[in-house]
Amino acid sequence: MESKEVILLKKALDRQKKARVQAEKILESKSKELYDVTLHLKHANSKLENLLSEKTSELDGVFINIIDPYVVMDLQFNVINMNLSAKEFLGYDHTKETINLEKLVHKDYIDYTVSSFNSLLEIGTLKNYKAKIYVKDGSEKYVQINASMIYDKDHKPIAAQGIIRDVTHEMEISHLLTEQKRQLDIIIENSPLSIALIVDGKVIKANKTFLNLLGYSEAELKKLSVNDISSPEESEESLRLLTLMESGELDNFSITKHYVRKDGTTLLAKTSVNAVKDDDGRVAYEVAMIEDITEQRNLELQKEKLLKELEASNQGLHEYAHIVSHDLKSPLRSISALATWLAEDYNDKLDENGVFNLQQIQEKIAGMDKLIDGILKYSSINNDHLENTKVDLNEVINEIREIIFIPENVNVIIMNTLPTIFADKTKIHQLFQNLIANAVVNIEREEGLVQIYSEESEAYWKFSIQDNGVGIPKEYHEKIFKIFQSIGNGQRSTGIGLSIVKKIIELYEGRIWLESSKGEGTTFFFTLKK
Amino acid sequence: MNILFIEDDAIETMKLHRTVSKLQLRVNIVEAKNGEEALEYLKSGGESPDIILLDLNMPRMSGIEFLKILKEDDKMKYLPTIVLTTSENRADLLECYKIGIAGYVIKPLKYEDYESKLKKVLDYWNINELVKA
Repeated sequence: MESKEVILLKKALDRQKKARVQAEKILESKSKELYDVTLHLKHANSKLENLLSEKTSELDGVFINIIDPYVVMDLQFNVINMNLSAKEFLGYDHTKETINLEKLVHKDYIDYTVSSFNSLLEIGTLKNYKAKIYVKDGSEKYVQINASMIYDKDHKPIAAQGIIRDVTHEMEISHLLTEQKRQLDIIIENSPLSIALIVDGKVIKANKTFLNLLGYSEAELKKLSVNDISSPEESEESLRLLTLMESGELDNFSITKHYVRKDGTTLLAKTSVNAVKDDDGRVAYEVAMIEDITEQRNLELQKEKLLKELEASNQGLHEYAHIVSHDLKSPLRSISALATWLAEDYNDKLDENGVFNLQQIQEKIAGMDKLIDGILKYSSINNDHLENTKVDLNEVINEIREIIFIPENVNVIIMNTLPTIFADKTKIHQLFQNLIANAVVNIEREEGLVQIYSEESEAYWKFSIQDNGVGIPKEYHEKIFKIFQSIGNGQRSTGIGLSIVKKIIELYEGRIWLESSKGEGTTFFFTLKK
Repeated sequence: MNILFIEDDAIETMKLHRTVSKLQLRVNIVEAKNGEEALEYLKSGGESPDIILLDLNMPRMSGIEFLKILKEDDKMKYLPTIVLTTSENRADLLECYKIGIAGYVIKPLKYEDYESKLKKVLDYWNINELVKA
């Protein structure tokens, strides 16, 4: 029995042995397989490592070689990495110090920065962030940043990277432009000229003055064409010119035309239009400058009217002088003829004295005729040129002595030899005659005296005519030179004499004044420019 | 030669008569004291003058008013009219020539000068062919 058991056991053992050998064989072959795989993995790993190192160095190269500043920061704005350009731009080096980018931002941009960052977190990218920052040396820079988020394998944001552009210069230019535009706007808005931009016959922009002038709001005006605000009868011409301008034949033009306000009233304005061309030489728009000259024109018209009236009144005066002179001259001619006939017809009956008296009559008549001519000429003093010649004043005084009535008790004396001046003889004659006649008339003394002096200065002649007459009260010293202001009690006084004197003196850029004391006499002084 | 002398001043009329007789000019003078009178005469059918001597400043109808009427008349406009005046007013002178005159003579101050001027005027018209009615 024992042996049966043994045999059974031996058999089992044998089976076991066989199974083990088989298992060993399997194990052996699996081991071999594992070995092979390991070997393969090892190889692959080393290959990957190489690849990674390659890529890393490649990336490093890219990172360094980005020309614009490039920065990687963590979610607390601390710089993790930055390229050389960033170091140069910001002046900081993350390997030497901790840089918190948020602290570099100008305070005015903090809020904007926070909201921009939140948007970056949410969307993953940020474009065109613009802010003012301080770099290490304390100077302000304007930067523009495009950024994106960096995530870990679980898609958790861990960092952000961004490329910085220094736009300081651009911003400065833009600020300068804005400032200049603002200044220009101030000038344009406050210009007394109405200014408008016109494109295709439409007003696209206008300043305040323009709007005020026409009474439209800017919005209303933009709906209107140039035609709508032009007076209908003149719009054709301005449209013609605008068309010429738009075709490039005309660079600028000026036109004075009427505009129609919103309320329908019109105004007259001087308009100058300039074409503004684009780079291709095409007319981009027209700048119209409009100056309201309604008032000016009204003033001009008023002036014209006044001038016409003045002319008419001058003409009237001129006519009047002619009529008066005619009425004075006609009887003179009659008297002259009669005196001539007396001398002819009664030649044998007249003694020497009679003949002399008739001659005297003729002389007086001639003097008066001349004076009338002089007054006539004076009336046209504004139209007539002065007939300046050499005038010997001593001669003039002698002539005056002949013409005017000088009572026997009055002497007209030239105190120092008077000069020969260059002037209009008729007018100078009239000037002295009026003054001397005035002096003579106002003498009531038994021995009247009229003294004439002259004095020479560099630019002027100064004359004085002194009498020992009744004197002129102080309150009349100004009044007597005004026309038709007579203070004489004689009926001969017309009140014209001294105003004529003053006018003639003013013709020669001189002036006249007087000194007088009651009962003692009057001295008239006057100057004449040489 | 028949002269129509239009003048309101008596002494002026005397001057003309004296001149004519002194120089022994063969003229026949018809006087009118103003334009109205002159027109009346011209329309009365009397002998037509050869020339007219016309003063400008006259009452009622002035010389220029007369001249205008004269020149508007189809027949009378042919009458040579010489203005004889003291007016040296250029406006008058231009107006007269504009309407149509045959001369503009200024009355001189001296009678001697008047004589010589009048002689020249009348001599001149004496040698002219005149429009006979």
